[in-house]
Amino acid sequence: TELRLSHQWSDNDVRHKVAQIVADEVAAADVDLEIRIFPTQSLFKAREQYTPLSRGQLDMTVLPLSYAGGQQPAYNLTLMPGLVKNHDHAARLNDSEFMGEIEKILESDDIMTLVPGYLAGGFAGKDGCITGPDDMPGKQTRAAGKAFEQMLAGAGASIASMASSEIYNAMQTGVLDAANTSSSSFVSYRIYEQVNCYTPAGDYALWFMYQPLLMNKSTFDDLTEEQQAALMAGAEKATAFYLEEAKKEDAESRKVFEDAGVEIAEMSEAEFNAWRELAKETSYKMFIEETPGGDKLLEMALSVD
Amino acid sequence: MAGHSSAAVAHTANNPFLRAVAALSTLAGWCSAAMIVAAVAITCQMIWIRFVMNGSTIWQTEAVIYLMIAATLIGLSYVQRLRGHVNVDLLPLAFGPKARKMLAVITLGLSVAVVGIMLFYGYEFWHFAWERGWRSDTVWGVRLWIPYLALPIGFALLLLQLVADLYAVIAGIDAPFGLEDA
Amino acid sequence: MDPLLLGALVAVATIGVLFSGVSVALGLLIVSGGFLVAFDGMRSLELMPEIFFGKLDNFALLSIPMFIIMGASIASTRAGADLYEALERWLTRVPGGLVVSNLGACALFAAMSGSSPATCAAIGKMGIPEMRKRGYPDGVAAGSIAAGGTLGILIPPSVTMIVYGIATESSIGRLFLAGVIPGLLLVALFMAWSLYSTWRSGEASVLSAGRYSWRERFEILPRVLPFLAIIVGVLYAMYGGVATPSETAAVGALLCLVIAMVIYKLWNPKDLWVVLRDSTKESVMILAIIAAAGVFSFMLSSLFITQSIAEWIGTLEANRWVIMAAINVFLLIAGFFLPPVAVILMAAPILLPIITSAGFDPIWFAVVLTINMEIGLISPPVGLNLYVINGIAPDISLRTILMGSLPFVACMIVAIVLLCLFPGLATWLPDLVMGPSV
Ligand code: NA
Ligand code: NA
Repeated sequence: TELRLSHQWSDNDVRHKVAQIVADEVAAADVDLEIRIFPTQSLFKAREQYTPLSRGQLDMTVLPLSYAGGQQPAYNLTLMPGLVKNHDHAARLNDSEFMGEIEKILESDDIMTLVPGYLAGGFAGKDGCITGPDDMPGKQTRAAGKAFEQMLAGAGASIASMASSEIYNAMQTGVLDAANTSSSSFVSYRIYEQVNCYTPAGDYALWFMYQPLLMNKSTFDDLTEEQQAALMAGAEKATAFYLEEAKKEDAESRKVFEDAGVEIAEMSEAEFNAWRELAKETSYKMFIEETPGGDKLLEMALSVD
Repeated sequence: MAGHSSAAVAHTANNPFLRAVAALSTLAGWCSAAMIVAAVAITCQMIWIRFVMNGSTIWQTEAVIYLMIAATLIGLSYVQRLRGHVNVDLLPLAFGPKARKMLAVITLGLSVAVVGIMLFYGYEFWHFAWERGWRSDTVWGVRLWIPYLALPIGFALLLLQLVADLYAVIAGIDAPFGLEDA
Repeated sequence: MDPLLLGALVAVATIGVLFSGVSVALGLLIVSGGFLVAFDGMRSLELMPEIFFGKLDNFALLSIPMFIIMGASIASTRAGADLYEALERWLTRVPGGLVVSNLGACALFAAMSGSSPATCAAIGKMGIPEMRKRGYPDGVAAGSIAAGGTLGILIPPSVTMIVYGIATESSIGRLFLAGVIPGLLLVALFMAWSLYSTWRSGEASVLSAGRYSWRERFEILPRVLPFLAIIVGVLYAMYGGVATPSETAAVGALLCLVIAMVIYKLWNPKDLWVVLRDSTKESVMILAIIAAAGVFSFMLSSLFITQSIAEWIGTLEANRWVIMAAINVFLLIAGFFLPPVAVILMAAPILLPIITSAGFDPIWFAVVLTINMEIGLISPPVGLNLYVINGIAPDISLRTILMGSLPFVACMIVAIVLLCLFPGLATWLPDLVMGPSV
């Protein structure tokens, strides 16, 4: 049997390696199962993967779950400011009742999670550092994710929407003053050449995005028991790897920016709390408004210690 | 020789069906052009808001994208009517009149089939989004059935124009591939 | 079935279907649909409309109709004639000055228009009759305009560069800059050939007819100002922090429409509709090919053909210049038959990994590819520019137009060779303006 796995990243990205580990483990188990990986959007575009996955036209994907937030608003909680404090906290969240609820919603779309995992990101400023909400007024900002756009707009920033690949040019010509995206995007798009200050994910970080490896559930159920076992074993190995690498990625981006002579700023606890207060007034509020049962889900997520 | 047919548009003679389809395609062409103009205006407005007013631009990018997609899909039938879709007619030119007509019927038949498939699954996709209340994952959060509506409408119009073209060739009202000097 | 064998089958089917006279966009959908049903089952067939829609779901595509409107609105006024006349008054003493001024006008017009046929039409409407009246051979008159028009896609803005940028995720700003120096190089080569051929014909004195006083020469300069205003305006918007390159196109389109209406009095609704209709027609045609080619490349990828071809070429261990030469021959042949946009979209996903793994710069390759596509524009059987010329001057036979453009094809091949010898011709300017590439 051959399974098709699609994702949007290049083959030296962590998320490709996670998929590769599962593919390799399954191949090594010799259970007549092969996973064929289509990287760099070579089969589906990034945001077009969820629907075919849920309809069984695609077997597996590694996907930022919030991309499907327009179909299942609850997924917007997987990219919500201040919900995750650091990677260990993210790991606890993955085992929580909250994630159980998300899994139920996935199941209603005939999807299951094989490898859970969060990646973090930070802020970069062309002129000044961005650590707290007071740094935002008047800045043309590109934010990653709807909830972040709402929060940053609440802080007085002007929001410009564009692909992360356009950040570099927009910063260079002065269209943008600030950007918020993942640690790996900051590095791969060489944003360090255009900014003066970088606020990486540190002891306090705001931006965490849930990007699991997902599989169509019916396809999984149709596999033999040996094949399912091989998949689960591979997934377990990949989960551990994912967490370790996620931590490394933040440190690496910090080093790359530092080496490029960019000032590194830290977010303090007080600033983190200020962001969170702001988020309660903006992104959390809007999330609850548009999501049936959203208040309960949010409460569940916030209760994870 | 072949290429971007500068030849006349599809002939309708005085056939009411062909004329009705032609009128519908022309109307679609106006809509398509209007959407392109709207996209220009919205983009300029966005630049104004951002560059001059230093304000937020939330909905413009998305609106422009959907307008361009709709302009393309809705415009398909009009461009088909104007014979504006570029083609390579090496084989038709090599063939005699009879074989040429046969080839025209086959290619138009295949086109009708593939556009029919696009219409069927396009409708299904639109219906899926409508039934489940999908929205785009942005602050604007457009109800996706609205932009997706361009799929069934655009392909239905194109299907109609293709069927009309097929009929015109079979009935001898229009020359196969618009090649007048057979 | 072995993916490589399947790939060969797809190639044969595609050629067969496309040569049958069906439009390129529908032909690609027919081939894709057929192979998906036969080798991938219904589940992939169901996805076709979704992928068609998704390929168009890209903000950068906006710039295609915008750059087409820029060219079309200005082309429908007497601006092209003004530009050409101004150059002619200044260059009249040079033997062959008329051809040189036509080529110069094409180059300047190309800096405002993203498409080649538009450039061709704008300058040719006035230039071709004028050249013939002054005793230039039909072939030279038609060939120089056909070739000069191709500059439309090399000198920025360029629709094909946008399509390449989208297909390969390269920076469109960088691609535009990469085309500038090679564009000027081509203009120089075209002019050199024109001067040489005029001089060789021995009729230099006849050909330089037409005398203008200094007064007449300065009189016409203000009429070139709108052009400068548009070019400067667009450059400022693009590189001056006003907007991203794709947004700039809208500024350009608006600027051109306004200038056409205010300065050239293009406010009759009928005339405006013609501009809009032609722009819509060309844009929808190109966007439909983009979307259909997206479905086609989904089919290739889904059947693992793309990946297998790239792997197979990787194992050949050929010299990188042999690979480059082979790619150029392939593109040249494809360009004979297919419009540039279709070639780029179908070839880019397969060629790009090969190009980068052989150590070539994708931005540099975009320029080589574009010049290659320019050759296709003036060669049969699908040479869009040839048909534009044929439309302007129906009494010049296609054969004569073709023979006239052949020397210019030679100039383009020389330009490709020069680019291979000196890659800096393409990469120096973007690196200077935008910093070294990623
Ligand atoms: Na151009
Ligand atoms: Na050609």
